[in-house]
Amino acid sequence: MARVYNWQIRREMSYWYGESRPARQFAAVFDINKCIACQTCTLACKTTWTSGKGQEYMLWNNVESKPYGFYPLGWDVNLLDKLGPQRWSGGRFEGRTLFEAAEAGERVLGWRPEEIDYANPNVGEDDCAGAIENGAHLQVPHMAWFYYLARICNHCTYPGCLASCPRGSIYKRPEDGIVLVDQGRCRGYQECVKACPYKKVFFNPMTGTSEKCIACFPKLETGLQPQCFVNCIGKIRMAGWVSRPSEAREDNPIDYLVHVRKLALPLFPQWGLEPNVYYIPPIHAPRRYLEQMFGPGVEQAIDTYRKAHRDKDLAGLLELFGSTEKVVPRWKRKGELIFGQDEKGREIVRVPMTEPVVIRSRFDVAHGVVRTNCP
Amino acid sequence: MNAVLIRCGVVALLLLFAASCGGPPGAPPSEVIVARTADLPQGPADAAWRHAPVYRAELLLQDMVEPRLIEASTSLVSVRAMTDGSEIAFQLDWKDDTRDDLPSPGRFSDACAVQLPVGISADVPAPQMGEPGRAVEISFWRATWQASLDGRPDDIRAIHPGATVDHYPFEAAGLEPGSKDRAAMRARYSPARALGNVMEGPRERAVEDLLAEGPGSLTRAESQRSDGSGRRSDDGWQVMIRRPLSEALTANGRGQIAFAVWQGAAGEVGARKMRTGWVPIAIEEGS
Repeated sequence: MARVYNWQIRREMSYWYGESRPARQFAAVFDINKCIACQTCTLACKTTWTSGKGQEYMLWNNVESKPYGFYPLGWDVNLLDKLGPQRWSGGRFEGRTLFEAAEAGERVLGWRPEEIDYANPNVGEDDCAGAIENGAHLQVPHMAWFYYLARICNHCTYPGCLASCPRGSIYKRPEDGIVLVDQGRCRGYQECVKACPYKKVFFNPMTGTSEKCIACFPKLETGLQPQCFVNCIGKIRMAGWVSRPSEAREDNPIDYLVHVRKLALPLFPQWGLEPNVYYIPPIHAPRRYLEQMFGPGVEQAIDTYRKAHRDKDLAGLLELFGSTEKVVPRWKRKGELIFGQDEKGREIVRVPMTEPVVIRSRFDVAHGVVRTNCP
Repeated sequence: MNAVLIRCGVVALLLLFAASCGGPPGAPPSEVIVARTADLPQGPADAAWRHAPVYRAELLLQDMVEPRLIEASTSLVSVRAMTDGSEIAFQLDWKDDTRDDLPSPGRFSDACAVQLPVGISADVPAPQMGEPGRAVEISFWRATWQASLDGRPDDIRAIHPGATVDHYPFEAAGLEPGSKDRAAMRARYSPARALGNVMEGPRERAVEDLLAEGPGSLTRAESQRSDGSGRRSDDGWQVMIRRPLSEALTANGRGQIAFAVWQGAAGEVGARKMRTGWVPIAIEEGS
């Protein structure tokens, strides 16, 4: 085991390989507050990549209702249970990561789903935590709650799947940090399925190899965002590149949300994989539950999000989500306009802070008719 | 004390004697003795196997490199070997309560393998998959492959009989059955097969030739020369693996060999296996 630095837990940790960061790291921000679980992302991915034989059960992208939704069943709670209670101290994780807690003979602490655990991808959908008593009325914060958690592979800086593969069949691309299973080399040992805590590697019984989200790299290579991003009707997602905290840039949308404003948080950072999909946490769910899932930055992130409507930079940047199919590596605000730019500062897209409202007169003079709202 | 030492010394001498000449008459062979034959057996249950002596190979846990096997499973594999002068055939027979030949998430296949050093040298490479620059060649049989060869359809319903499938894009009406376009569309959703890495699905052999230069380096050999078949016995598996004689066996009539067995129900796969160290192997003397 080597010693590597994981900025999400603010300390060095043990990992199977030495620290080797890519030239740039694929990353994403998902705004949970906007997700309605329509599963358009899920279907966009499914039709693009996993419509083959043996891929029937695979969901490289899925959306589950928390706290009772899981795919596969119990993916997070099983591991939390196995790892046992751990401790953060301030922003630093003092407990054991999955690499540090590996059992004898293993490289990573993991668990192996059984076939049946994949049988109910929509288990717990829209089930809320707690009972609604007779006569209850809506309060804020909600007395019963749930939220939608959209998930893809986190293209981790320290992937559990990569560490676990005894054959070195999994690699992290040096140019963009995307984690891939070499389909020419994999022999289907399923060690990665066991080791990935997010359970985003799937065994294909018809090819005998394991497969996973590829971050739509053929699109990314041409400057386009992945399918699950551009098909999101709620515009909850933005793809881009995340820097290390010391190299964060204010004009990089992902850096701004993750490092500068600390609004978007990693999923289960305590597991030690430095995952690269960052979530704006839901504002209405219990803090303790959210802190377990997104780490100690939850309180600050929610506070920032609640005030975002008074913050033109933040509110403006969130307007860029879903505004273009292209990856937007730079951004700036000029008055009431927000610009998405390429690396050289050339404009890709511009969006207004507020969409203009147009009110049409009741009578259409040009056509000599009264306008009505038709279904 | 002295008597104990003397007794130990005598036992050691006897063991040395047994190792060097195949053991005293009547004792089980301490090396794999390859019986000569004009025609190799046709399958694992061929009656001709009774002409070959049985070597009982005790299996050890692979607990040297991660991922390791922590709990021992199969303790013994019975080995017979025969040669016709150019090829060698092995019969491996071991106990296994369950048939595990379905590939699926969280399921693993029963399997076995024989391993031989590449080339001829005075000493052998590390028994655990060889070492860098000192390769081993492996003939690997897997129960899922046997099931495919024995006729299991290349269809998810053969694995999950209750499965329903709405539609596969490569079966769209616009794509003629058997057409290039249909094949291309299908390959798009099956990258491992498109790359020729057929770990499951239709295949010509249940045995694969592999090369390794240490743990984690296993590679498919360019030339596939091994063949064989397996069948469920009353209480386990009986497998025949047939391959060309190794260089050492051809030149010297002697060499080293290792065996491995995987029990799918115990989650054994890849490095998680029961295996032997190097075992001496010799072609029986005579014409």
